[in-house]
Amino acid sequence: MSQTVNVKLNVNGAAAEIELEPRETLLDVVRERLGLTGAHAGCEQGSCGACTVLVDGELTRSCLIFAVQCEDKAITTIEHFGSPGALHPMMEAFRRHHGLQCGFCTPAMVLTAIAFLEESPHPTESEVRSALAGNLCRCTGYAGIVDAVLDVAGVAE
Amino acid sequence: MIGERTERREDARLTSGRGRYLADHDVPGLAHVAILRSTSAHAVIRGIDVSGATALPGVIAVVTQADLDRAGARPMTHRLPLLGVLPLEWGLLARDRARFVGEPIAAVVAATRSIAEDAMELIVIDEEQLPAVVDPFVALAPGAPLLYSEWGTNEFFRMTSLPPVLGDVLATAPYVKQFRLTDHRIAALPLEGHGVQAAPDPATGTLHVYASNQQPHQLRTVIAETCGLDEQSVRVVAPDMGGGFGNKQHFTREECLTAMLALITGRPVRWIQDRTEGLISSIHSREQVHDVTVGYDDSGKVLAYRVDVTANVGNPILYFSGIGPAIVTVGALEGGYDFGVVGFDLRCVATNTCPIGAYRGFGQPQAHFSSERTLDAIAVDLGLDPIDVRRRNLLPDGPRPWITGGGARIDVGPLGPHLDALVTEFGYGRWRDLQSEARADGRLVGIGVSALVQGTAPTQYGVAGRFGSYESAAVAVLPDGRVTVAVGTKSQGQGHETTLAQVAADVFGVGVDRVTVTDGDTAQLPYGMGTWGSRTAVMAGGAVLRAATQLREKMDRIAAGMQTASAEPPTFSEIAEEAWWQTHRLPADEEPGLQQTVVYTPGNTMPVPDEHGHMNFDETFAAHMTAVAVEVDPETGDVRVLDAVLVSDCGVVINPMVVEGQHQGGFAQGLGAVLFEEVRYDDDGQPLTSTLVDYTIPEAPDVPRLRVVQRETPSAVAGGFRGVGEASIIATPAVIAGAVADALAPLGVEITSTRLHAHYLRRAIRAAGYTPDASAFASR
Repeated sequence: MSQTVNVKLNVNGAAAEIELEPRETLLDVVRERLGLTGAHAGCEQGSCGACTVLVDGELTRSCLIFAVQCEDKAITTIEHFGSPGALHPMMEAFRRHHGLQCGFCTPAMVLTAIAFLEESPHPTESEVRSALAGNLCRCTGYAGIVDAVLDVAGVAE
Repeated sequence: MIGERTERREDARLTSGRGRYLADHDVPGLAHVAILRSTSAHAVIRGIDVSGATALPGVIAVVTQADLDRAGARPMTHRLPLLGVLPLEWGLLARDRARFVGEPIAAVVAATRSIAEDAMELIVIDEEQLPAVVDPFVALAPGAPLLYSEWGTNEFFRMTSLPPVLGDVLATAPYVKQFRLTDHRIAALPLEGHGVQAAPDPATGTLHVYASNQQPHQLRTVIAETCGLDEQSVRVVAPDMGGGFGNKQHFTREECLTAMLALITGRPVRWIQDRTEGLISSIHSREQVHDVTVGYDDSGKVLAYRVDVTANVGNPILYFSGIGPAIVTVGALEGGYDFGVVGFDLRCVATNTCPIGAYRGFGQPQAHFSSERTLDAIAVDLGLDPIDVRRRNLLPDGPRPWITGGGARIDVGPLGPHLDALVTEFGYGRWRDLQSEARADGRLVGIGVSALVQGTAPTQYGVAGRFGSYESAAVAVLPDGRVTVAVGTKSQGQGHETTLAQVAADVFGVGVDRVTVTDGDTAQLPYGMGTWGSRTAVMAGGAVLRAATQLREKMDRIAAGMQTASAEPPTFSEIAEEAWWQTHRLPADEEPGLQQTVVYTPGNTMPVPDEHGHMNFDETFAAHMTAVAVEVDPETGDVRVLDAVLVSDCGVVINPMVVEGQHQGGFAQGLGAVLFEEVRYDDDGQPLTSTLVDYTIPEAPDVPRLRVVQRETPSAVAGGFRGVGEASIIATPAVIAGAVADALAPLGVEITSTRLHAHYLRRAIRAAGYTPDASAFASR
């Protein structure tokens, strides 16, 4: 178990070379090795979506992929998109529409919404709901989240 | 300011991934805990061989209950103050017997979580399997396996209140109905599971604990007790929490165990519950069976109401254990109705299942489900409109407080106008027309209504034997005119950093952005009561209001004596500077500084009987009226909500956006409870729902938008607030059940259970003789 390998990643635009155990997930690595704790371990079974990051631009459950599978790939986490003093428009919209309560699902939800609008800039409400179906929220009932995404898309509710 | 739709201050960090939840507090030398849990529902533990685990490189300690005994850990107890509760103590780990799948047996502390889990697999348990019992009625039958042989029964607690006149009224009532209603088992499932991190500080001799817990001060008390420490040598901080919903209200073995592991190993340790642990072993909720007997007259007025409650409490090893919600159920049977004579016979039954405990609503959803199903049954029986039947049974407009037979002091405003508002806003008449048209087309559309009066801001004394009804707040105005507020409550997502800032800002007349609210840290206040029971606006809001008002008055006195260069009155910051720095100029009898700590209670609760035998558990009450329209697909059993309206009266609203959010979220949870979620066991006590693939909660496409209408009847407590956090989760299961029952009435299907999941409804629809039209199905 102590056997380690070196993996080269590009994380949020910066190169990172990390010595790790092959069994470490991408979620383990971004959280524990890189301190990027905006990705959350909600189930570690691929069901809740709270650990979502982008791998080469693709929405990816970081709990279901080993870091060694991400050699030379570009990893983008929520921290790349904004910070408390410089929120991304999607983060602003979540705040404006009360699209979060506890916030545990929120970074992944925001990330998913940003990626979705890049693919589908003018969605219907139904399309927004389908796009977010893989990200579980226990607090909000989703109404504020859907409103936020539609608002950023410039679609009237 | 109070009443404004202020955006939340916490959202900047939470949306950008900078929230700091339990697992986001790494410290140097942090070790990780994995807990070995029973895979048997009932077994005698003969021995535990930890040698293989101990030898694994990276393992720091492997701990069993015997090790905890040696280290001075003390047992936990349920601490229930009620007469007749059977005695029960338990270790932080199972000592010689496991009584449910998931019960903790041993703990590993290791350099990483992976090593801890590797080591866990090397522990060998020598156990003898015993027969398990899962169903409470089986558990009560003669010859059932006993969880605690020393009890001689599995009936952990029984409480009856059957007024002698109850039988007489039932015997003479024009109509009497009897039926059985079932509430199935669910789990609260905060998206962030439980977690604890504990670190001993050798310099000060204190133990610093982070815990994802709704009641940090009480957890401090319980950790101190179980670890043999003084209360002042434990500091508990609840950081950002990824939800709680009551699931993080109890004080668990794991929280105390992790504290003991820090003391035993002398290093910082962290335990993070994984999802399967959460689903099988943290806390389940709701499972009850109600045998209802109701007597009523021609008008639909209830004359007598008896509910015999059988509550499955699992293995009741929970501080203020699973009987707490059941006690609230039998205290809330009438809700906002006058049912004449009310009685109950409550049995709380131990089984080889996960402990039952708190989930948002805490016993009230079951009471409300029964009262609403009962009124709907009366309406059907007499051919009356369910709205009219509710009007006939709602509490009259006066007097207030309305004092129930048991002593509850209900202080809601007139209920009729709320029901009128519901009828109007929902478009009740229009929906009945649409329903007729749909039925003519062979579609199954139904309408459900619910009238809820809910006790809010309860005392915990009744179910915990201590922890009275109050809240603490410390408010200060700093020399630069910034305001700090510390409270003994703990937001799990409710937005208290914003709403309590609004309360202080309102008093001081400053912007909300000048107020900083902190909560959940035992170092900030001597004691606090945490957040649960729809209490924070009432209790912490009231405490902040009191403290800020006292400071505001002091500032006015200081300002009156201040000399300013111009004719302008001194600014807020100038007064603050004067109070802290120019103390020689203050009025002679004025203490320097601007800080005020208040321990506040509205003073309305009576957790022990007065001379009339009356008890009142709630500081104030709230009123909520709900209506939904649904359509049921007879072929799939799928329920689609077509419209949903909630008329909300939670007194003075601090932030309408937050109130609406509470309602939307509670609605989603209530809908999930009846349409998607169920904790299931097989007959041997093996859990069948241990992942989010088996235990399914609503996704974005599943939850329709709830239309919320806010009305305000101020309460008499400070600020005029009433609690709001639980209303829609209490109302929703009942109102959806009512609508489904109405939809399926033409098929002769009766709804007597909260199980409205598609597969159950489909089965019931087929059992009622409905045969799907295969050609129609094929042409879809």
